[in-house]
Amino acid sequence: MTKNDSSQPLFNIENLHGGYGDIQILNGVTIKVPNKTIVTIVGPNGAGKSTILKAIYGIADVTSGSVTLNKDGAVTDVLATKPHNLSRIGVGYVPQIDNIFPALSIDENLEVGFVNFANTNLEQMRDDIYVRYPDLKRRSKDRAGTLSGGQRQMLAMARALMSSPSILLLDEPSAGLAPALVDQLFDELVKINQVGVTILMVEQNARRALGISDYGYVLDMGRNRHEGIGTSLVNDPEIVGIYLGKK
Amino acid sequence: MSDLIQYLFNGLVVGSIFAIAAVGISLLYSVLRLVNFAAGDFLTLGAFITYFLSVTLELNFFFSIVVSMLAGMGVSWFLELVLWRNLRRNKAGTLALFLVATGVALMLRPIIQFLFGTETRKFNVDIFKTYDFFGARIAHTQLLVLIFASASILTIALFISKARIGKDMRAYANNPGLASVSGINVDRVVLATWLISGALGSLAGVFQGLVQGQFNNAMGESLLLSFFAAVVLGTIGDAYGALVGGMLLGLFMELSQLSIFFGGVPSNYKPVVAFATLVLVLLFKPEGLFGYRARKV
Repeated sequence: MTKNDSSQPLFNIENLHGGYGDIQILNGVTIKVPNKTIVTIVGPNGAGKSTILKAIYGIADVTSGSVTLNKDGAVTDVLATKPHNLSRIGVGYVPQIDNIFPALSIDENLEVGFVNFANTNLEQMRDDIYVRYPDLKRRSKDRAGTLSGGQRQMLAMARALMSSPSILLLDEPSAGLAPALVDQLFDELVKINQVGVTILMVEQNARRALGISDYGYVLDMGRNRHEGIGTSLVNDPEIVGIYLGKK
Repeated sequence: MSDLIQYLFNGLVVGSIFAIAAVGISLLYSVLRLVNFAAGDFLTLGAFITYFLSVTLELNFFFSIVVSMLAGMGVSWFLELVLWRNLRRNKAGTLALFLVATGVALMLRPIIQFLFGTETRKFNVDIFKTYDFFGARIAHTQLLVLIFASASILTIALFISKARIGKDMRAYANNPGLASVSGINVDRVVLATWLISGALGSLAGVFQGLVQGQFNNAMGESLLLSFFAAVVLGTIGDAYGALVGGMLLGLFMELSQLSIFFGGVPSNYKPVVAFATLVLVLLFKPEGLFGYRARKV
């Protein structure tokens, strides 16, 4: 850990290169996520969006570059932190698929996501989550495998929130959800953000995701291609034409 | 009627030992995808260590059991550090793990033989003391085993369902990918699983030695396949299922001796009952008694 530089963003991905074994996917990606913002990474299939998150968790390989968390006056090297300790330093992750424990009850799913800090209490945290997600409360003793797709996504998010994260990394949170649920999901993300959780998400549904984002990055071929205020990217005719598709 | 009570009681005793051995095997499979072929030899090891401490060294019997459980944990821990952890890092598949486990079993047997000999042993307890219970003869050792085994089973079930590490174990078994990115320390979960299975192996070995009255160094391996049958019956990898599967299988094997079943299956054919059960389960309910399928979304 080194001394904090207040001009540093909360989460900083710097010139990241990597991929899977010999297959190079990321060719220098730089993403800055200021504290308490929503930042979205969009781009065509194969651009390397999800690989960024997987590299952070050691699922994909990193060949060079850095990822740092700049929190409470201390800078932590995220890539040097073991994946199971990332929730402890304040980084939460919701993978795109298989993001719940189907054989465990909803209560238990939340409990295994809980990180015991001095100022946190399992029952208290779980009650807070249940106030926010009454659907889950009603099913709290049921196996998570019996939930619907929308409820599962809710549970996955709730599980990540149980570790009181400073930043949530979301891998395509709206993938596979019915259109009505997609709206609900993005509303939910705004609410989570409003209570002070920073969000970095990777999304296919670029228009909706950028619509709620403070800042957006367009990735292509594993490189930064464009970036800007979320809503301005949605309205940029060049980006719309090439990356977002016609409305 | 007294026959029924006799075999029911015998079944509960055998079943409770099966349950304890099976849950260790099932936990290891669920967490590590490892078919522990050496599980039987951990029973033998536990029984012999307890014999050595309580009979040869004349130490307290219960103290000896505790030390043998610690020894079972120690051997498991050692193997985890030198063997299994490295195999995992090298991404060994289920077949490779299975072969290595078989190798461990083949090494443990001569080691036990070297240390403790091939003679038949018995614990320093009165195996002829019996009680009369509605015409059934219940051995003192059986009663002891049933009481302590039931308490152990309850403890295991509570541990798996309520303790945080028990929940972490189930979470990791259910979705290893998510577990390792959601704050669960995988190495800690795996180590806990080995320690539990090591302790339970020794405990089941002592119980089995008590119930048999006498035992030799082939005790554990001769039971291994019956344990596997119990694990499959209760759904592979389901810890609670293994407890119930072990109990049921023990009851089947004993009750099959009642004369209403083809005049009573001779007791030396009991393993046949275990494997017939196994085959029937695999044919008609391959996911086991407690298998469930998550809703597809």
